Amino acid sequence: MRPTPARFVERLLAAAVGDADRADMILGDLHEEFVRRAARSTSRAHVWHAAQALRLAIRMTCLDRVRARRPFHDHQKGDTLMTSVLADLRYGFRSLRKRPGMTAVVAITLALGVGANATIFNVLDRLVLRPFPFDDPDRIVMLSETGPGIEYKKEAVSPANFLDWRRGADTIVHLTAMQWWDANLLDRGDPERVPGFQVSPGFFEALGMSPALGRGFVRDDETFGRHRVVVLGNTLWKRRFAADPGIVGRRITIDGEPYEVVGVASPRFAFPEGAELWAPLAFDPAKPVTRRSRYLTVIGRLAPGRTINDAAAQMDVMAARLAREYPDDNRDHGVATDTLTAGMMDVGLGPMLGLWQTSALIVLLIAAANIANLQLARATERRREIGVRMALGAARGRVLRELFTESLLLSVASVPFALAFAWLALYVIRIGMPAAIVRFVPGWESLGPDPRLLAFTIVVAVAAACLFGILPAAQASRSRVTDVLKDGGRTATGRHRLRRAIVVAEVALALPLLAAAGLSALGSYRIMNGPQGYDPSGVLTMKLVLPERRYPDEQSRRSFAARALEAIDGVGGVEHAAAINKLPAGGSTASRVIEIDGHPAPDPNNPPAVEYRLVTPALFGVLRIPIVRGRAFGAADREDGAPVAIVSESMAQRFWPGEDPIGRRVRVRNGQWMTVVGVCGDLIQDWFAARNEPTLYRPMAQSPTDSFGIVVRAAGDPSAIAGGVRQALLRVDPTQPVFDLKTMRRQLHERTIGLQYLTWIMAVFAVLSLLLAAVGLYAVMAYTVAQRRQEIGIRIALGASARHVVRHTVGQAIRLAGTGVAIGFVLSVLVGRLMEAGLLGVASSDARVFLAFAGVLMLSALGAAYVPARRAAATDPIAALRE
Amino acid sequence: MSYNAGIMTDLHLGELEQIVLLAVLRVGSDAYAIPILEEIERQTGRRIARGALYTALDRLEQKGCLRSRVGNPLPERGGRARRYFAVTPAALRALRASRDALQRLWRGLDSVLEG
Repeated sequence: MRPTPARFVERLLAAAVGDADRADMILGDLHEEFVRRAARSTSRAHVWHAAQALRLAIRMTCLDRVRARRPFHDHQKGDTLMTSVLADLRYGFRSLRKRPGMTAVVAITLALGVGANATIFNVLDRLVLRPFPFDDPDRIVMLSETGPGIEYKKEAVSPANFLDWRRGADTIVHLTAMQWWDANLLDRGDPERVPGFQVSPGFFEALGMSPALGRGFVRDDETFGRHRVVVLGNTLWKRRFAADPGIVGRRITIDGEPYEVVGVASPRFAFPEGAELWAPLAFDPAKPVTRRSRYLTVIGRLAPGRTINDAAAQMDVMAARLAREYPDDNRDHGVATDTLTAGMMDVGLGPMLGLWQTSALIVLLIAAANIANLQLARATERRREIGVRMALGAARGRVLRELFTESLLLSVASVPFALAFAWLALYVIRIGMPAAIVRFVPGWESLGPDPRLLAFTIVVAVAAACLFGILPAAQASRSRVTDVLKDGGRTATGRHRLRRAIVVAEVALALPLLAAAGLSALGSYRIMNGPQGYDPSGVLTMKLVLPERRYPDEQSRRSFAARALEAIDGVGGVEHAAAINKLPAGGSTASRVIEIDGHPAPDPNNPPAVEYRLVTPALFGVLRIPIVRGRAFGAADREDGAPVAIVSESMAQRFWPGEDPIGRRVRVRNGQWMTVVGVCGDLIQDWFAARNEPTLYRPMAQSPTDSFGIVVRAAGDPSAIAGGVRQALLRVDPTQPVFDLKTMRRQLHERTIGLQYLTWIMAVFAVLSLLLAAVGLYAVMAYTVAQRRQEIGIRIALGASARHVVRHTVGQAIRLAGTGVAIGFVLSVLVGRLMEAGLLGVASSDARVFLAFAGVLMLSALGAAYVPARRAAATDPIAALRE
Repeated sequence: MSYNAGIMTDLHLGELEQIVLLAVLRVGSDAYAIPILEEIERQTGRRIARGALYTALDRLEQKGCLRSRVGNPLPERGGRARRYFAVTPAALRALRASRDALQRLWRGLDSVLEG
């Protein structure tokens, strides 16, 4: 079949043009060009056609007439544009005022719908579209290696490859690598852990940051040995150095080493991840630069006149060459060239914001459907009047415009409310995020109203009015004059059907939203309160990183850990303290490739790896991780004792299925053999990445580490002992900062914050949609009752009881809601599947959730129908019949 | 002279109107909106909005500068007919008048405008 333009577009345009002959000409021209374009691409032709029609429709309804300073329709001489618009506005106001309750409800519900969209738009705008406050962000690129085992774009480049790229690339200037470098700062006052990054020269230039004081980094700064220079963040400079203008040139102590301050960053520059300290990334010439470990993040600025495609093409060639030259490390490795914004985007953000924006749109659709409903009701009431006016020669366009003005008024009235709603919502959203997380979400702090939000709000409000005001208006003005005059405007079955369809659609859309919210709430609740495998209540956690200069060997680290734990144990209110290299829910993990004595790996090229933990003996007691077989570590498991290990149940099952692992031996690849002395319960390291992972525990004394966490079980409130614990640690080493000092519950809260946001925002959407659907149902029922006053009067006069009338009216509402719920149920199942796939296994479809919310919807339908039903039952038959 | 002046006050043609009329003349007997639009774009390199063209055609017809006739319904137009436009003698006179007026204004200015 030959493609034809969309019928409804044509109808819309025809309604806007008004004059039938003229419409024929214009529609025909568009049709003809559409056919030509469709020969190339049907979908493009459709887009083109719709865009042309929309532009023409707008022009025909208003612009032309304004430009020509002609009256909209000269059915009366002297009826100029201005006076007729004023008349329309007056009409609009008057008819809206005639039903103030309904008007307020519709305007406010529209405001909620528009406000919800504006809110999510702002989040999307600030977090996804322009999260970084740099000049020309589209010209900043991020390069990352692609290949087997590389999942993320950040921290995915090996130093040797970076250096080769930098030598070869001329499409990108200021190519710079960065590496996580949180550092212990000791200068004036308490030691502090400061978020910092080591970066290559060109870093500040690539981002377009000019320092507030001093300079950025130059090539010489990355010469090993001359690399101990830093640029301070503006906030750090003010906080710790009292904004000292003479700071440049001074020496400060970082990680136990002296560094010279060469510059202070401009205010509000904290890239990446809230960094407050930058130092040059320098490679020790005594050690070979690795090509195998990939941990750098590489950014740069496109050279003038070059596009990102030029850069991508050049990088592809280079990557192919490097893959040939270094097949051992680079085989199957390529390079991805993204804009900085795309490269830095959190992978979880997309699906979440997608879900939110879709939900917001659904809320808006429901709100706008209420407007359409109101309009249809108005149009039906005024059908006779419109019929008469058209019979007397009023132009269809003139009548249409008058009805349309009313929708527009409603939408304009809703804009301030929508903005207020968005402002409030954004405020709540912004402050709800823990400060510890904010630094990892670029753009978060800038959430809030701005001109783009204002523009978006107005556009959405007007678009909603256009979409849902113009269709009913067009329908009303298209009435066949003779029909209207014949039947006296009392029955209008088609329109009733449309109104009912709208209500059914509202209910059908509300249910999936409710279901989605329910599923995320359930998933979130399970994660927060479900079994973790350990007891997070009453526990305080903190982290330490020992600088190499002060703690250069195992003995010094071992002794620090022992003294630190002893000091904490002495603090009042502390039951017991223990150390572990990676805290549960701490955001990072460590794993090791292992060998099992007597069970060689089935595939030597792909040896098994397990989670790897170094713990002090008290850990299992402090976190209440059960030892299910064998024993826990004891004081005898020291550095000079026999090497021992404890394995988690999942590890025991995986490597010794059906056997007793106690007494077996295991080792980290190329390490010494360890004897398994116990099996402990599994725990959830991280809900998103590692649940019940096979885990190997070793006594920390047998392999001390320079970076670990401490867990402290408190006798009472864990936050009450935080100050004492910090002081105790400072007494052990006054130069050693402690960071991320917080309760384990708090830590869990922060790790699952994204999920909580998901849940809360979905819950707001769900409540809104439920409310709006109920309002819509109420409006339709109230209207139906009003329309059928005479019929109900007759029924009552003939002996129908009040109960009968109520039952009849409520029954109608139930049928409408039931149809909607049935459709919504199918949609909910689909939504559930999508969420299961998109949200990292957080949500799982649960028919009970759907059924429960279907029940809630039906109940609210009952409620919404009951008031109009009572009113119907109270109809005075005599008064009704006399009308 | 007085005759010309009369025409000009009656039939003042804007720039777009002149462009549209000239394009209709150039297209010839089969001038309807699509070829007119294409001719304008081809000759002036300027893309005018479809809506502006329809408005101009409308106004020109109302002013008596254009006549239109409706052709046969065509399947590629969804069964709608084309509307063909032709320039009226009055519009031709007005075009000539405005060209003459412009030429008079141009006279003697070549040295200024060519430098």
